[in-house]
Amino acid sequence: MRKFSISPPVAAILLAIVLFLLSGFLPNGFGNDINVAIAQATNIVRLAVFLGVIAAGQTLVIISGFEGIDLSAGAVVTLAAILTYVTVKGEDDKVLLALLISLAVGALIGFINGLGITFLKISPFVMTLGMSGVVTGLIIIINHGNVSGKVAPIMTRLIARPLSPDIPIPNAIIIWIIFGFLMWLLLERSTFGKHLFAIGVNRVTAKLSGVNVTATNLAVYSLAGALAGFGGFLLVGNTGVVFINLGQPFLFPSIAAVAVGGTLLSGGKGSYWGTMAGAIVLTLITSLLTTMQMPDSVRRMVLGATLLVMISIYGRQRGFRQ
Amino acid sequence: MKRFSWDEMMNRYPAFFAIILLVVALIINFILQPNMFARDTLNSNMRVFLPMILLAAGQAIVILGGGIDISVGGIVSIVNTILATQVGLNGSPEKMWTFVLVSLGAGILAGAINGFFIAFLRLQPIITTYATSFLYVGFALFILPNPGGGIPAEIANVYRNTTPLGLPLAFYVIAVVLLIWMYIRSTRFGNYLYAVGGNAEAAYETAVPVTWVLFSTYVVSGFMAALAGIAITMLSGSGNAEIGVPMTLTSITAVVIGGTALSGGIGGVAGPVVGAITLGIIQNIISFSRIDTWWETFVKASIIVVALAAPGVINLLRRKKV
Amino acid sequence: MSVSLSARNIVKRYGGVVALSDGNLDVHSGEVVALIGANGSGKSTMSKVINGVVVLDGGQLLLDDKPVRFSSPQAARKMGIATVFQELSLVSKMTVADNIWLTREPLKSSGMIDRKLMWEKTEALLDLFSGTFKADLKPATLVSALHPDEKQIVEILKAISLNPRILILDEATASLDSRQVERLFELVKRWKAEGKAIVFVSHRMEEIFRIADRYSVLRNGKTVGQGDIKDITEKDLIQLMTEKEKVFQFTKAASGEDTSGLDHPIYLEVENLTTETLRGISLKVRQGELLGIGGLQGQGQRDLLLALFGDIPYEGKIRIKGEVVRFKHPRQAMRKKLALVPGDRAKEGLLYIRSILDNFLLPSWQNYGFPLKMKLAKRDALTISERLSLVMAGLMAPVSSLSGGNAQKVVIGKWLLRDPDCYLLDDPTKGVDVNTKAEFYGLLTELSQQGKSILFYSSDDDELIGLCDRVIVLHDGKIRAELQGASLTKENLIAASMGVSNGGEA
Repeated sequence: MRKFSISPPVAAILLAIVLFLLSGFLPNGFGNDINVAIAQATNIVRLAVFLGVIAAGQTLVIISGFEGIDLSAGAVVTLAAILTYVTVKGEDDKVLLALLISLAVGALIGFINGLGITFLKISPFVMTLGMSGVVTGLIIIINHGNVSGKVAPIMTRLIARPLSPDIPIPNAIIIWIIFGFLMWLLLERSTFGKHLFAIGVNRVTAKLSGVNVTATNLAVYSLAGALAGFGGFLLVGNTGVVFINLGQPFLFPSIAAVAVGGTLLSGGKGSYWGTMAGAIVLTLITSLLTTMQMPDSVRRMVLGATLLVMISIYGRQRGFRQ
Repeated sequence: MKRFSWDEMMNRYPAFFAIILLVVALIINFILQPNMFARDTLNSNMRVFLPMILLAAGQAIVILGGGIDISVGGIVSIVNTILATQVGLNGSPEKMWTFVLVSLGAGILAGAINGFFIAFLRLQPIITTYATSFLYVGFALFILPNPGGGIPAEIANVYRNTTPLGLPLAFYVIAVVLLIWMYIRSTRFGNYLYAVGGNAEAAYETAVPVTWVLFSTYVVSGFMAALAGIAITMLSGSGNAEIGVPMTLTSITAVVIGGTALSGGIGGVAGPVVGAITLGIIQNIISFSRIDTWWETFVKASIIVVALAAPGVINLLRRKKV
Repeated sequence: MSVSLSARNIVKRYGGVVALSDGNLDVHSGEVVALIGANGSGKSTMSKVINGVVVLDGGQLLLDDKPVRFSSPQAARKMGIATVFQELSLVSKMTVADNIWLTREPLKSSGMIDRKLMWEKTEALLDLFSGTFKADLKPATLVSALHPDEKQIVEILKAISLNPRILILDEATASLDSRQVERLFELVKRWKAEGKAIVFVSHRMEEIFRIADRYSVLRNGKTVGQGDIKDITEKDLIQLMTEKEKVFQFTKAASGEDTSGLDHPIYLEVENLTTETLRGISLKVRQGELLGIGGLQGQGQRDLLLALFGDIPYEGKIRIKGEVVRFKHPRQAMRKKLALVPGDRAKEGLLYIRSILDNFLLPSWQNYGFPLKMKLAKRDALTISERLSLVMAGLMAPVSSLSGGNAQKVVIGKWLLRDPDCYLLDDPTKGVDVNTKAEFYGLLTELSQQGKSILFYSSDDDELIGLCDRVIVLHDGKIRAELQGASLTKENLIAASMGVSNGGEA
């Protein structure tokens, strides 16, 4: 058994590669044109960036344990996107302000989640679910049917375009790689990360070892909110338009990406690399099904079945009888 | 040291808080809508609430056993699309009966699939039922890609307008559900349910058939979701594959407002039933209070968050006093 | 009802780890067999084999000379085998009665549980231990409201309610106080006379010699000796368990010469400390002093240590080196160079699924900058693990791969890394094998010689007497006696523990 165990992130990436290669044989696949293949692969990774960034906060709260989860992420993404949209109004010099607003509003919502979870002992699932409703309500109020605004040219350039004409790697992917490195620093090379894993495993032990469990928990939900806000900022930079349901379709895939990436859903163990791999797998499957012109019904069933298979492979809990 | 703790109180009267909330909501609703206890008004309200009541009762069983079922909405959708396509607007009552039985069978089967993965393969409930929810909604879309079809108006009217002894049909259904629950609660199976939800390892070591108990909770939930699906189809008279989707999270909210903890092993079914009614009344209050339509979602979500937070606030104040 | 059970050449592996390679045990009606072994020797696995919790990989179980194979704990129970688990098998959100009768609830003809009858039957069982627990323990009390010793009693009653032919007591006395142990032993004698066969798993030599008729010693998964208790001495038993001869001697702090450094300055001063269970405790600890805390289980020892460490709220005054402190969180206590080894290492001391490195460094990460200096951290962790002679596969191995004694070393090691001035120890040798115990004694002596103050609570009276200069005995939240010098005897300690007032100030 031991010899064949591979880490979940690696398994997810291998799965992605196999699926991608198989997709080449589809009628409208890349066939044996290597350039087309690279272009397609790049495009899928580019699309995965948004799910990947939104799933970053999800990774953190799931690692923090005690049924940690952020169901408000989808609504926060939309809210941040709308706020960015109306703040920027097509002007480049308002972009930084919009980014700060996105982060701050996300962090504030996350902080309120954290308050409810740590002090009122509301389960994260319920608290963030309720918050999702409240934020959706806010979005409707702000939106009032439609909003006027525009993304700035610089955002499109920074997010949607490639680095330079010679290097056809979209900036979004570069941003994601840097982002992934920062997440690794946070999780594996900072005291906060170590404390985060600790509270995910055992909060009594953590407290008796000097970890400020309350502060860490508040921080993790605030950070998750801010990261969702960042996701919204990036997303609107890519789509260029906003609508009420912009972020919601990313919510459950963000949880799935974390699970596929091998992060323990009960907390205390996991990595952002895994989540990145998970985001790529999910995006790949979705776009394959779209390319194959499968109806919505089949797309959903295949997505569901894939997730079931992935968690059946390495999501099993310990059996009662050993 | 007195041992009659808040814990113990919540253990004995899990619906206590839910009932207070219900009374408050009823009073407000009554002020806004003085004829709410009139026969027709009462009936038209209760027939709208009933699907969620049934769904919440099933969800409560799963949650008591320490799990969660995100796929109930998908099961509602499957049942709705089966009835809407197979019975049809011109179907006979015999056909309706046949496909009601088919629907119940489908619900049980869907629940058994969930139960198989969770109880026998030991997968995590949230992510597993999330995956199957995709399967189920996808399947419903497969049966009925676009909203349409339905059941004959005469059959729908039986559900809508039957008021034996002047009381809404829903009252009788609720009474039957609660009586069955009270019986189950005082059988061995009831004890097993609490033991498995409270401490599955200990239950296993005490020779409780943990796997079967877990499995059965999902089957019950699938069955109740099918009943909810039948009820909502009779209510609406038409078919829509997405009809169940927003119901899942509401059912979980109802359970939690009803004092049944997501951690498992605490609470009951009566509370969630009360919770589901309360949520319905809150919706009523909002539509009667003539608030700006744009604000409705926000106000409703805020009320729900406050309701969810209230027990936590009480606890916090209580601890401060000690 | 005569019964006999034999386990022959039992093999059990967990993944790649062999827990039992040749386990043997024989037990017959009317006798108590002690299953003895150091931690990680396979004792717990052996009891799990007998009661069907684990599947065997090899060997044979004979019940009444017929081969049996238990497919589940249920199957073993049907054959009349009941176990009192070390890790309690209780559901805390259910009542005492519900827990005891779970799966065997008396039913009415309607199929409903006859709760009235169930409560009566529970009352009858509770009577077996009457007087040794607080009066508000009733059949309808929630288990979550019980103290650890009361939970253990419920666990014992749950097993005995099966009226088993074979009863396995797996470390059942570990959290009982001496009065409760006394009562349990009376009951064991009665059950023996009724023809029950009893397997007694324990670390406490004194108890083994009091209650057992025969012994079976496990070492590294192998049975290395079986025989009658009356034919063996304590020393020989320990030798069997520990392979190499290592008769440990308690080394009193400065081995007689320097009694506790009476001239050292006062380090810690506590005045009228009051919490939920403590009712006004005052004490002083000098630098380099090893102060023992004794008494029955749950008399406030835990609260005393937790209050000092800032984990629970308290009233009263605490001074460290003369300065009044009021900690609201353990990290404040840590800044003042205090350290706590909590009573339940699994639930309070360790992060089981994380690496040994992560566990060692948990209280100290702040000192390693950003990004964390991992090389330095690993070197420091390695130094500590060598100092403690920790047996491990590597620093990155999860703590869950360690045996009990080694896991406890990690709990202590994480504090050594911070070099505190004062150690608060809550029964650190509970469930630890004799070898590791001896190492701990050496470590404590060394630390106190370095001038560290140590508050040492132990449920093992011999340990307190052998190791400490001065012992305070808590009873019902108060200091019942302070024993030192000539008054520090086992008789006085026990008398004070029981609340008998003859151990005066010395």
